Amino acid sequence: MNPLSRQEPYVIQREVKPLDFLAAGETASDFKETLKSLGIPPEICRKASIVTYEAEMNAVIHGGGGIIALELAGDRITIVASDEGPGIENVSLAMQEGYTTAPDSIRELGFGAGMGLPNIKKYSDELEIETELGKGTTLRAVILLDPSGEEVSDLCRTV
Amino acid sequence: MPHGIKISGESCRGCVNCIKACPTEAMRVIHGQLHIIDERCIACGECLRICRHRAISLEESEWNSIAADNRSMPLVTDPALCTQFSWPPDPGILKDILMDIGFEPIFEDAALAFDLAAMAQARILDEHDSRELPMISTYCPSVVRLIQIRFPELIHNLSPAETPLETSVDLWRTRHNRYDIPSTLVAPCPARITMAIRPVGRETSSIDNVVSTARVAKEILSKNCSPSRESTIPGRDSRWVHWSVSGGEAGHIRMFEKRPLKTLAVSGLRNVVGILQEIELRRLKGVDFIEARMCDMGCIGGIANAESPFLSRLKVEDYPFAREIDKEEMAILEDLYQAGVWKLQQEILPIEQIPLGKDMAKAMEKLSELQSVYAELPHLDCGTCGRPTCRVMAEDIVRGEASLDDCIFRLRKRMGDLSQELNELSKRFVHTMTPEGKE
Repeated sequence: MNPLSRQEPYVIQREVKPLDFLAAGETASDFKETLKSLGIPPEICRKASIVTYEAEMNAVIHGGGGIIALELAGDRITIVASDEGPGIENVSLAMQEGYTTAPDSIRELGFGAGMGLPNIKKYSDELEIETELGKGTTLRAVILLDPSGEEVSDLCRTV
Repeated sequence: MPHGIKISGESCRGCVNCIKACPTEAMRVIHGQLHIIDERCIACGECLRICRHRAISLEESEWNSIAADNRSMPLVTDPALCTQFSWPPDPGILKDILMDIGFEPIFEDAALAFDLAAMAQARILDEHDSRELPMISTYCPSVVRLIQIRFPELIHNLSPAETPLETSVDLWRTRHNRYDIPSTLVAPCPARITMAIRPVGRETSSIDNVVSTARVAKEILSKNCSPSRESTIPGRDSRWVHWSVSGGEAGHIRMFEKRPLKTLAVSGLRNVVGILQEIELRRLKGVDFIEARMCDMGCIGGIANAESPFLSRLKVEDYPFAREIDKEEMAILEDLYQAGVWKLQQEILPIEQIPLGKDMAKAMEKLSELQSVYAELPHLDCGTCGRPTCRVMAEDIVRGEASLDDCIFRLRKRMGDLSQELNELSKRFVHTMTPEGKE
C-alpha cells in the first residue's frame, strides 16, 4: 500500500526509524529547506514543517517507523506519511486534543501529549487518514500554496 | 565589509577549515581565496575561532586614530568589557580608568538604557497576547540575522525593543545636545561590530567607531591601570553588567514583571538553532521570552574578548544584581517609556535568499537536477572543491557557479577513464601493422 505509486510527482521521500527520537525533526527541517529553496513563502514552509514533524513523531512513536514523503504538484504541497504500525482504533478520538495512547515511557520523554493529529489538522488545509487495525496507517495532509483559494499557476504539473 | 570581519588574502592558505565551521554555509574557497556570501553571513565569528593562519580578523576601527583624537569622545561599551580585568566588574571602576585614558564613558546613560529596555520588554510581555509569544530578544545581532536568513517566519516574534547600546548613545546626545562628536563602541564580537556598520531596525547607527574588547583591555592593562578605589555596593548603575552573561537580560526583565513571566536563556550556536526550530514547530507553549545569544555563555564568550569566559562568568556571578528600584528612578523610566526612545525605528525584514529558479516550475526543474548532480558526488563532504558539503556543491553546480570537474574525486575518475581510453586506443592496430606488432 504505497500511495506514492498512485500520485506523482513526488519530490522527496524519507524513511523514519521506530523510536529514533534523536533523528526526529530531521525530515521536517529537510522538507522545509527544500520548500524554501523553491521560493515558497515562509508561512507555508512553516505549516509544512509542523505537519511533517507531527507525522514524523507519530511514525516514530506509534507506527514502528514509516515513510514520509513530500509531494509538490500544482497548487499544493502534500505530505504523505505511511506506516505499517498497529493502526488507529478510533480516529475521531485521536483527533481530539490531549487524547493519547502513547505509553508512559514515551510521555516521560516529553512526547506523546495527544497533540499530533490535532496539530496536523490545524496546520493543513485538507486531511485524509486511511487506517486499518493491525495493518497500518496512511495520512495525507494537503497544504495549499495559496490558502485564499485563488487559482495559482499550475506550472508545476509539467514537471 | 558588512560582516565585521576581514580576510587577509596573503595569509589565507585556502585550507577549508573555516567554510566547514560556518553554520550558514556562507563561505567558499575559489582559486585559493576565501569568499563570503554576504546575504548568508550572520557574523557569528565561528570562522575567526577556527582559522589557524590568522587570515580572518575583526574589522575594527583604527585604535591609534581614535586615541589620537584629543576630544573626550563618548564611549559606550558592551557590558563584557567590565568583566575583563582582575578587579570586580564594577562599571564605576572601569569608568574612572577609561576617563584617565581620555574617553568620556557614558555609563549613566547606558545603565538607564538597559533598565529601559528591560522595563519596556516586561511591559510588552505583560500585555501581549500569549498566542504570539514567545518574544525573542533582539540584543544579539547575530541571532537577529540568523532569524532574518534562516527563520524568516519568526521575524514577528522578535522584540520591538532596540539594543540599549544604541539607545544609550541616543540618550547621551539628546541630554548633552552633542551631535558633533563621534561615538565609540567597545564590542566583544564581529556581530556587535556589524551593528554599527549595518544596523538592523534603524536607518543609521548612533555609533561611529568600533573597537574590540580585547584591544581596549590590552590598552588598559599595558598602561598598568588599576582601580583607583574599592568596588562599591552594586546599585542601579550596574545592573547592565549582567547582560554580558547568559540569563542577564531575562533576569533584568523579570525584575519589572507584573505577572510571573516564563523566560528562557539560551546560548551557543547549536542551542540557538535548536530553540528556534522548536519555536518554529510551536513546541514552546507557555514560554514568554527567549534570550538567545550566539556565543556560549553569552557575550563574555565573544571571540573579541581577552579574558577567559569562565572567569568572566565567575566575576559577574559574584557581583550582586541590585533589584531594588526607587520611585524617582521609576518615574524617569516611565517618561522615557512613554517617549518611545526604546523602540526599534524600523521594521526588521527577512533577508531574501535566492531561490533555485525564478519561478516554481524552474525551481522544481533545478531541484531534480540538483538531486541527480548530488548523486554523482562522493558524499564525503571533504571541502576540496571549496564548498562545505557535497550538497552545497550540487547547489552551486545547478546555479552555474561550479562545475562537476571541480570535484577532485570526479576529476580523478575522469582521468582514470580517459587514461584507460588512451591505453585502449594505443593498442589499436593501424593497417600497416601486423598482429605480432612488427612494423
